[in-house]
Amino acid sequence: MRAIWILTLALALGISVYAWAGAEPAPGDEKPDIQEIVSKANIVAYYQGNDGKAKVKMVITDKSGNKREREFIILRKDVKDGGDQNYFVYFHMPADVRGMTYMVNKHAQLDKDDDRWLYMPALDLVKRIAAGDKRTSFVGSDFLYEDVSGRSLDEDTHELIQTTEQIYVVKNVPKKPDAVEFSYFNVAIDRKTFVPMKMEFFDKQGRLYRTIESKKVEKIQEFYTVVKSEVKDLKKESKTEMEFSEVQYNINLSDDLFTERYLRRPPREAIR
Amino acid sequence: MNIKQKITDFSLRRHKAVAIAIAIITLALGALIPLIKVDTDPENMLSADEPVRLFHNQTKERFALSDIVVVGIVNNKDPNGVFNSASLTRVYELTEFAKTLRWTDENDPNHQVGVIEVDLLAPSTVDHIGQGGPGVVTFEWLMKKPPATQAQADEIRNKAMSNPLLKGTIVSEDGKAICLYLPITSKDLSHRVYQALNAEIAKYAGEEEYHITGLPVAEDTFGVEMFIQMAISAPLAMAVIFILMLLFFRKLVLVISPMIVAMVSVISTMGLLIGFGYPVHIMSSMIPIFLMPISVVDSVHILSEFFDRYTKSKGRRETMMEVMDSLFTPMLYTSLTSAAGFFSLALTPIPPVQVFGVFVGLGIMLAWVATVTFVPAYVMMIREKSLENFGREAQHGDKQTWLTRLLHGAGRLTYSSAKPILVVFLVIIAVAIYGITRIEINDNPVKWFSRGHPIRRADIELNSHFGGTYMAYLALDPNETKTDYYEYIDTLRRRAVEKGAELKAEFPEASTVTSEIEKLLLEEAPGDGGKTELLETIVKAVREKEASAPKAQADVWYEFLDFFELEAEAVKPFKQPEVLRYISRLQEHLAKTGLVGKSNSVADVVKKVYQELIDGKRENNRIPDTSPAVAQCLIQFQSSHNPDDLWHFVTTDYMHTNIWLQLTSGDNKDMQKVVAAVDKFFRDNPPPIKLNYHWAGLTYINVVWQDKMVWGMLQSFLGSFVIVFIMMAVLFRSALWGLICMIPLTITIAAIYGIIGLVGKDYDMPVAVLSALTLGMAVDFAIHFLERARTAYSQAGSWAKAAPEMFGEPARAISRNVLVIAVGFLPPLAAPLIPYKTVGIFLCAIMVLSGAVTLLVLPAMITLFEKRLFKPAAEPIRPSCNCGFCVVISAASVLIVALNIHQFAIVGWTKLVWISAAAIPVMALACGVMSRRRLCKLVENKKQQTESGEKSNDG
Repeated sequence: MRAIWILTLALALGISVYAWAGAEPAPGDEKPDIQEIVSKANIVAYYQGNDGKAKVKMVITDKSGNKREREFIILRKDVKDGGDQNYFVYFHMPADVRGMTYMVNKHAQLDKDDDRWLYMPALDLVKRIAAGDKRTSFVGSDFLYEDVSGRSLDEDTHELIQTTEQIYVVKNVPKKPDAVEFSYFNVAIDRKTFVPMKMEFFDKQGRLYRTIESKKVEKIQEFYTVVKSEVKDLKKESKTEMEFSEVQYNINLSDDLFTERYLRRPPREAIR
Repeated sequence: MNIKQKITDFSLRRHKAVAIAIAIITLALGALIPLIKVDTDPENMLSADEPVRLFHNQTKERFALSDIVVVGIVNNKDPNGVFNSASLTRVYELTEFAKTLRWTDENDPNHQVGVIEVDLLAPSTVDHIGQGGPGVVTFEWLMKKPPATQAQADEIRNKAMSNPLLKGTIVSEDGKAICLYLPITSKDLSHRVYQALNAEIAKYAGEEEYHITGLPVAEDTFGVEMFIQMAISAPLAMAVIFILMLLFFRKLVLVISPMIVAMVSVISTMGLLIGFGYPVHIMSSMIPIFLMPISVVDSVHILSEFFDRYTKSKGRRETMMEVMDSLFTPMLYTSLTSAAGFFSLALTPIPPVQVFGVFVGLGIMLAWVATVTFVPAYVMMIREKSLENFGREAQHGDKQTWLTRLLHGAGRLTYSSAKPILVVFLVIIAVAIYGITRIEINDNPVKWFSRGHPIRRADIELNSHFGGTYMAYLALDPNETKTDYYEYIDTLRRRAVEKGAELKAEFPEASTVTSEIEKLLLEEAPGDGGKTELLETIVKAVREKEASAPKAQADVWYEFLDFFELEAEAVKPFKQPEVLRYISRLQEHLAKTGLVGKSNSVADVVKKVYQELIDGKRENNRIPDTSPAVAQCLIQFQSSHNPDDLWHFVTTDYMHTNIWLQLTSGDNKDMQKVVAAVDKFFRDNPPPIKLNYHWAGLTYINVVWQDKMVWGMLQSFLGSFVIVFIMMAVLFRSALWGLICMIPLTITIAAIYGIIGLVGKDYDMPVAVLSALTLGMAVDFAIHFLERARTAYSQAGSWAKAAPEMFGEPARAISRNVLVIAVGFLPPLAAPLIPYKTVGIFLCAIMVLSGAVTLLVLPAMITLFEKRLFKPAAEPIRPSCNCGFCVVISAASVLIVALNIHQFAIVGWTKLVWISAAAIPVMALACGVMSRRRLCKLVENKKQQTESGEKSNDG
């Protein structure tokens, strides 16, 4: 089963969490299936509705307390539930990057890189981006590209290491340790909503160095949605907070939007 | 019995009590030594609130800059240099190892100190931005993992060489070397990091060479090695001195006493220093090696005299009484003058120099007390029986030693050829003055290590491959005036009106909104503040209007919101293309001077990203034409693995920027040239907007404190020169004798600094510090000689008869001192630290020169000016009654006051000269009045009473 799971920005992408009717396991002795947990969490975290839109405000706070802001609109449309999907990001702030757009055709297969485009209005330039990996910063914030576009479930092995009244804790170990800077990460998943509530990344020396937390979850339309999340980089002593507003699902976005020609002139409804 | 006889008599009678008291005091003070706090940071040469330090720290904080340990990996053997699979693997492994160099903070267990992993610069931690085919830009790690093949290694090389930010910084242009830059949480961890790296490197096989340097390592390691040297050099010098004394005096038990005096003064002084809570700084760590020779000198005088005068028939007690009678006064004088020389350092406005001066001064006085009390007491504790065969008479009888013969020869020479001797020394002075004019003031802490030291070798090697291991930061800030601000409001209003006119075509409501905006600009513009505050206010107001206005107007407000928000970004100075181009031009200018090996700035980042976004061609390595284009390049840079690298060059609000300069030389004179080159550039090329610039970085800090120190030391040296003169004049009751007494030390100092100038040795921190020692030591022999000469003259009645006596015991004591100290300080010449070598050379030079000058020039001058010098000696009067003497002393005092005021208060020299010029006649008048007092007339009438007058003036 193809599934990708990553929280935060993904959640912002209208990736919301369905009120998982009937999915709730009865708290009992039976050991829940690990594959089922991660798949459900992935689906609820990423593939709700056919499409979605949200306004995102990002506040990056560095070690000395300086704040930087980013504001953008993010649009998502699934090609296949749990599989490929498309993103479109339109920047509003800072004002001098206004009109800059990102477009991603995400491919869920392990061996196929995502197609990424970038349009910079001040240079009137469309570029394709080829990145060595997905662990680069998302526009200078503490969120990484992979936090946005998702990390394939097949990249890691999963192990249920803890079950409490409220949460499952899943430990994820990369199959190719050389490809990433962490040695493993733990995810705490809400047993009721399947919203990933907290992720903890550990470096090669086994030190916790990065956390992503869902600070506020709301039910929008019929989907549980993380409307505030925060990533902390413990090494840099910086953090980034993301707030989502005007979240909408199933708004019938056109497929055309996710093509190169709309990068330069996105339709008005996609940007306001 | 006078006071000196009383002291000696007491020490001789109560010798046990004296010895026990000194032992107890020494042990008590010595017990404080374990409380030692060490501070090896040369930055502390400046007080913590010194503006340049405050700015340096502010810059470090503002741009998240850290002190950097530079690690170089060089492969000179492989044809591909360091770019081969094996070498790059080691580079990678060493980087991974460096990341683990973290320790728990001793003061805060929740905090870790050590290498700052996120800011570490290495091939495996930096990004490559390049072309991934037509229309594709790539962002990837430069070296994600070590290459398996040569082809991969070549690719890494090509990528690195294509990035101006990396070339010359991380990779050498010749491809032979790679540098890792390890930022550390604090400078005082450098040595720890240095040691850990060395231990790791020792495990690596292969043909690579590893070099570790950088100012933090040099400074911290210097501190560590300095203390090691202190533990080696000081005892070694003691041992050599001990052996030499044994050769001279042939009595083991006896020569132990100067050693004890040295120990007592060193231990007590260090105990006092530490007990008072002062950290032992690089300067104060030199106290023992300064105190030792000074404290030994007096004991050698005593032993020398004791040895020469001792006969079995006289016995210990009587000989010692005799010895102390002739030596007590000169020893007091020499100690007082040496101490005064060092105490005057307390007036230098540099905290560690003050502490150093005060405690060396104290130590000298302690040594004096120990000498006059302990040495006689010690001699009393030696059984008379064991002094059998002791003394010159017993040892040599009438047979003359080579030293005695030599000195007698010298004595005859000074009498027969007084004029030629003085001519020779005048020539020496002339040459010395020429040498002094050629002195170059320069310093570089890395050069405190000798050439063979690994840090020095690393410094030489890495600076031949890279843009430089010395960091300096040039911080730029906008310098907007009120007028500029008001003009800007006006311009902005005009542009808003133009914008409104444009909007009219599309929106009918445009003119209504435009006039409201004009009103806003007039009414809401903050009177205080700048463009940023103004635009923040306006944007806020426009945003509120946009939200509340009816639909038809809201669209216009929306357009204006866009306009003002864009403007708010565009006014940020370090996003403006013309400002960035200016910075680039400045960097090019600095590169052309050849002084700056490499510089990196936000302009370089923008240029590189722009180049790769366009097509990767070299001609596009330039600043784009608009401020949004700059912003969009920068946001792409932030989509890399290390987005925060940007904030080392510019603040997040783009209001401050920092150019990182790498210098291949850390010499002050080179840093000063860079400063001058920047000053000139700003003078010749006015920046597009008004800019302020300030310097930070250790290389620059060193320039500031060393400059301050060199000039401070020079001034306090001049000050102590005058103080010593006053003291001499007062002690000899004659300005003329005071002047004569200054001659040996003047010639000595002139000759030493002349040689420094002639051989091209830089006038650096150690040399500056040693000037105080020169003064203190060089005056000693002159005092001994002149004091004894006066006594000898008054007994003999003529210099012809007195001179041979002078070239007996007194000259022998001086010569023995010269030999003991000069040879004793030869071992430090082998030390790996230059300041220790300097101390060794200086002490040898001071001893030999001042000894030679004292024994040749002084007697030659006395021979020539015998009548003049000894005439007033027969009729001494109260100092205050001697009008001429009083005037000279007053003038000298005014000079001292002026020198000191100049160092502390911001009063220009010209002003001080006027004040001094006014003060001197006033004081001269006062002198005249004083000398005409009735008391003086009375004294003149009863010349006999002046004997007692002299004594009452001793204190």
